[in-house]
Amino acid sequence: MHKKSKLARSGSVWGMSMVAPTIIGLLILNIIPFFQTIYMSFSQSKAFGAYEFCGLDNYIEMFQTPEFWKATWNSVYFCILTVPIGVFLSLIVAVLLNAKIKGKTVFRAIYFLPMVVAPAAVAMVWKWIFNTEYGIINTLLGMNVRWLTDSNVVLVTCSVVAIWSAIGYDAVLLLAGIQNISKSLYEAADLDGASKIKQFFHITLPMVSPTLFVVLIMRLMASLKVYDLIYMMVDQNNPALTSAQSLMYLFYRESFIAGNKGYASAIVIWTVLLIGIVTIVQFIGQKKWVNYEV
Amino acid sequence: MQVSKRIVAVLIAMLLIVSLAGCGNSGASSDGKVNLTFQIWDVAQKEGMEAICAAYTEKNPNVTIEVQVTSWNEYWTKLEAAATSGKMPDIFWMHTNELLKYADNGMLADCTDIIEADKFSEISLSNVSGSDGTYYGVPKDKDTVGLVYNKEMFDAAGVAYPTEDWTWDDLVSASEKIYEATGKYGYMAYADDQLGYWNFVYQAGGYILNEDKTQAGFTQPATMEAMKFYIGLQSNDWCPDQNYFAETAPGTAFFSEKGAMFLEGNWNILPELQNYPDMVGKWDVAVLPKCPNPASGDGRATISNGLCYATGAKNPNLEVVKDVLKFFGSEEGQRIQGESGAAIPAYQGLEETWVSCFEEYPVNVQCFIDMFDYSIQSVNNASRPEWKSKVSDELLKIYSGQVDLETGLANMQTIVDEASAS
Repeated sequence: MHKKSKLARSGSVWGMSMVAPTIIGLLILNIIPFFQTIYMSFSQSKAFGAYEFCGLDNYIEMFQTPEFWKATWNSVYFCILTVPIGVFLSLIVAVLLNAKIKGKTVFRAIYFLPMVVAPAAVAMVWKWIFNTEYGIINTLLGMNVRWLTDSNVVLVTCSVVAIWSAIGYDAVLLLAGIQNISKSLYEAADLDGASKIKQFFHITLPMVSPTLFVVLIMRLMASLKVYDLIYMMVDQNNPALTSAQSLMYLFYRESFIAGNKGYASAIVIWTVLLIGIVTIVQFIGQKKWVNYEV
Repeated sequence: MQVSKRIVAVLIAMLLIVSLAGCGNSGASSDGKVNLTFQIWDVAQKEGMEAICAAYTEKNPNVTIEVQVTSWNEYWTKLEAAATSGKMPDIFWMHTNELLKYADNGMLADCTDIIEADKFSEISLSNVSGSDGTYYGVPKDKDTVGLVYNKEMFDAAGVAYPTEDWTWDDLVSASEKIYEATGKYGYMAYADDQLGYWNFVYQAGGYILNEDKTQAGFTQPATMEAMKFYIGLQSNDWCPDQNYFAETAPGTAFFSEKGAMFLEGNWNILPELQNYPDMVGKWDVAVLPKCPNPASGDGRATISNGLCYATGAKNPNLEVVKDVLKFFGSEEGQRIQGESGAAIPAYQGLEETWVSCFEEYPVNVQCFIDMFDYSIQSVNNASRPEWKSKVSDELLKIYSGQVDLETGLANMQTIVDEASAS
């Protein structure tokens, strides 16, 4: 038997005890509840934490409900609206913030500000801005668009706010990626007479693609899981509610308002599967465009 | 080095143990002191509740009561989690929407022996009754819904103020005249149950739930007539549509002087007087207009709800807590509540204590008391949490034209019947 040295053994004990708080936290707060949720999705929930196994009933009921499919589409639609435009804009902002301009740090702070403000406060202010009768947008444009109550417009409105709040954070991540690119590449390109636009597409974009990939994955997951923003922007008495309700919003209403926790868990599992599929597709797709060579 | 590390580790471990122990239930400590928690959702009533607690603890110095406010939106999520894990607050407010769910699952302590049953109205007592008829709480208050109106707009349009004799027709014609004369909205009718269509349905002689609470009444002719009238109000120019109310609450519109009338519960009157000091004197309240041609009854009704104080069935200090609750339900406890302006005491004969809080304000709050003569108990059965949001979604579909009135009401009927049957 191979005997470990005393030093190595005490080192591993110390190592384990140092990571223990995180591991225990993960186990109690994330991993165990995850498996409980799977179990709950196959159960009928009674009041006050009692469950009764019911097989696939929740899933069968779920797949037959038009409201559920509508919510699934709303979540996907929200992704389509926010992710490409949001990530594209963040990339542009990151490149601009990297340029040699005066007051660069001030701009960086301004772009990052929405990240620091509480989502509830953000939604509150945007609700006033988008108010049909008294909001500043309709007043300035002299229009009468029902930003928050027209079922065709409401998700677009929410997307605008979502993009606005996420740009700063994504841009800072991308900025870090951009700053890692070696200056010599740009100097060489300058000598060869490549324009700034060409430099962007042939140097910046390929070199920042690993960071871009991370941002893309995170943004997609966050968009599929969107809840707080829509909950704050669209009240329960809004006639456009069903056109704005995301999967997580539906989950909230089923579990915490109607008290239907088993059915709500099935919605969560469905969302997890959806995110899983999208992420797998992305990991396959990344081979085509992400560059890991320095 | 080694030694100091060990000492640090031991210290950290001790710290953890101490803080974990700190999480344990407070309550009775060794020196005979009892610390109780009291959870409520209305910050406007915090002072009133503290006054009642102070009156009790003065006589019982071994007891301390801490009033905690959790906003309405999180209150029920939190209380259910607390009930599930057996860590309910010692005393908490209970609402009729939720009482049956808690009572029928054995979460609430039986309070029959501490209630002076002859001092409370039948509605108050049925608001605290579980499905088995036992009292699971001590009645706290009772409320009614009244018509709030803007006097300046009535004057500008030359319309007489609402009176006892007002009917739905007067409500409509006054709204029309005000809209024509001032361009302001008239009566603001929006998608709400207790502060909206329920009142109209019961005035018309219809019902939302039948007497034994097993079946809905949405497809009853009288209910349908009332719903048709109420929902139809939004098709008038003088009433904003539901899109407007999704962004601007009727109360906000009223106190920004955009509309002349809306229905309001008496519990909001004092906060509104305090929050809109510039509006004091410009508005008043009246009894609800009656139905001119009810299918049965005299056309009068207002929805009356009531909260109660309750405690968990497994509370470790049940003896002490029940003594506190007994005091909360006594004449003295209820009088303090009324005099603080918090709410109308459920205790009969003390209604005037609440009215007297409004002496400095030119508002006829007496009408809220007068309406108890024909008040209807707030609609409720054990499955209400399950059907509440579904019915409200269906109502929104009618408002937005996704389904017509008959289909929508038929759907509501099915939703409530199915939920009530399971």
